[in-house]
Amino acid sequence: MSHLLIPRVITKILLPFIMLYALYVQFHGDYSPGGGFQAGVIFAAAIILYAMIFKVVEAERVIKPGVARALMAVGLLIYLGVGFLTMFLGGNFLDYDVLTHDPSHSQHYGLLAIEFGVGVAVAAVMITIFYSFVDPLRD
Amino acid sequence: MNPIILIVILAFLAGTAITIARVRGVFVAAMLTGIYSLLSASWMLALDAPDVAFTEAAVGAGISTVLMLSALALTTNREKRPDRIAVIPLMVVLMTGSVLIYVTLDMPLMGDPNAPAQVHIAPEYIDGAHDYHIPNIVTMVLGSYRGYDTMGETAVVFTAGLGVIMILGGARRVMSWQERQQKRREEGELVLEEVYPLPDADEVDPEGEVHPIDDDGGGAT
Amino acid sequence: MVVDVLSWILLLTGGTFSVIGGIGLMRMPGFYSRVHASGITDTLGAGSILLGLMLQAGLTTVTIKLVFILAFLFITSPTSAHALVNGAMTNGLKPKTQVQEGEE
Repeated sequence: MSHLLIPRVITKILLPFIMLYALYVQFHGDYSPGGGFQAGVIFAAAIILYAMIFKVVEAERVIKPGVARALMAVGLLIYLGVGFLTMFLGGNFLDYDVLTHDPSHSQHYGLLAIEFGVGVAVAAVMITIFYSFVDPLRD
Repeated sequence: MNPIILIVILAFLAGTAITIARVRGVFVAAMLTGIYSLLSASWMLALDAPDVAFTEAAVGAGISTVLMLSALALTTNREKRPDRIAVIPLMVVLMTGSVLIYVTLDMPLMGDPNAPAQVHIAPEYIDGAHDYHIPNIVTMVLGSYRGYDTMGETAVVFTAGLGVIMILGGARRVMSWQERQQKRREEGELVLEEVYPLPDADEVDPEGEVHPIDDDGGGAT
Repeated sequence: MVVDVLSWILLLTGGTFSVIGGIGLMRMPGFYSRVHASGITDTLGAGSILLGLMLQAGLTTVTIKLVFILAFLFITSPTSAHALVNGAMTNGLKPKTQVQEGEE
């Protein structure tokens, strides 16, 4: 596999930055363009790049297919959980104002929480779809 | 934004779309869809919608091109040549297109300050974002005002993942990889036939035949 | 003023190199020489344009972002060109060594 040497070295250098950028997009969505959908896709792109340049088996050691499938549901459940948490605290469904005493902080926390759920769900779905597509091609 | 730039980008978009429809090589079409997404991302950026442009660039030009290529590895790389022009779908497309164009005549012009969306809803969003100190109004609208919609979108993404698992990944549970490989070898065909029954040999045109895939261990490369 | 002139020279140089790369992409014979032409657009064209934009922006966060973009581009675009050529080579596409008859 010596013909993949240069892409492998460059991928090793770039992957941390791609993931860091995904986290930036995820948690900076209140202040700049971005949010859960974009961050999830970028994170999934990092994993898919790893799977393409190295082997899919190696990527599956990082994120197991079963874990990815479970995280799909976990992301959606985080979103729903925020909704039910606000109901539990006495507000309406997804009414973030009851989370803390300061409404502005509440909005920020609520948005961060649901964006995190969206990001987890999107990343897991993208990785799962990729695994499913390359699964029949496995050697 | 200079309207000439928008017109040029839209012309490129139309040209790319026509090329995608006309080209027969499926790999070429997949790459062209990536170019189409990149062009529409720059178009949305020119319309001052960086969030949408970001999504389009990441999803359309990035992930979906990769997914399309890995899906193409499961099938042939030539599209079957149609024997005749399908009249009814063409009529449906033409009628839908003309109805859409007719409807746009009633819509307010782009950037019209008196448009209903600018008069009633947008000021409330802007005030809310200002009151809550959230600089990115898009996130505010998406998460706070339209929280239920975003929840529905997340559920749609989740359902899409479920659908793919059910169609392609479900075999993994009931059949180990060796068993499936054995089955594939015996039949000399792809795994896809578990889902789609292959057409009889005389129905397949010689170029569009399904070939078994060479196993060259390199993931999806 | 000097900075303005310098940045415009860089921008125009970058634009010219991009156009040259585009022409080369269309006119060069064979796959490998076309990739070589597109490499001009990726490195010299985009690099000069980004340098010109940095001079226009001055010492702000925009410049820092542009530096990051430049560094990223200088790592990724040669790698992608390399991967493209490598893929073609391993799949058995022979480089065209001389101009065939009937072509320009």
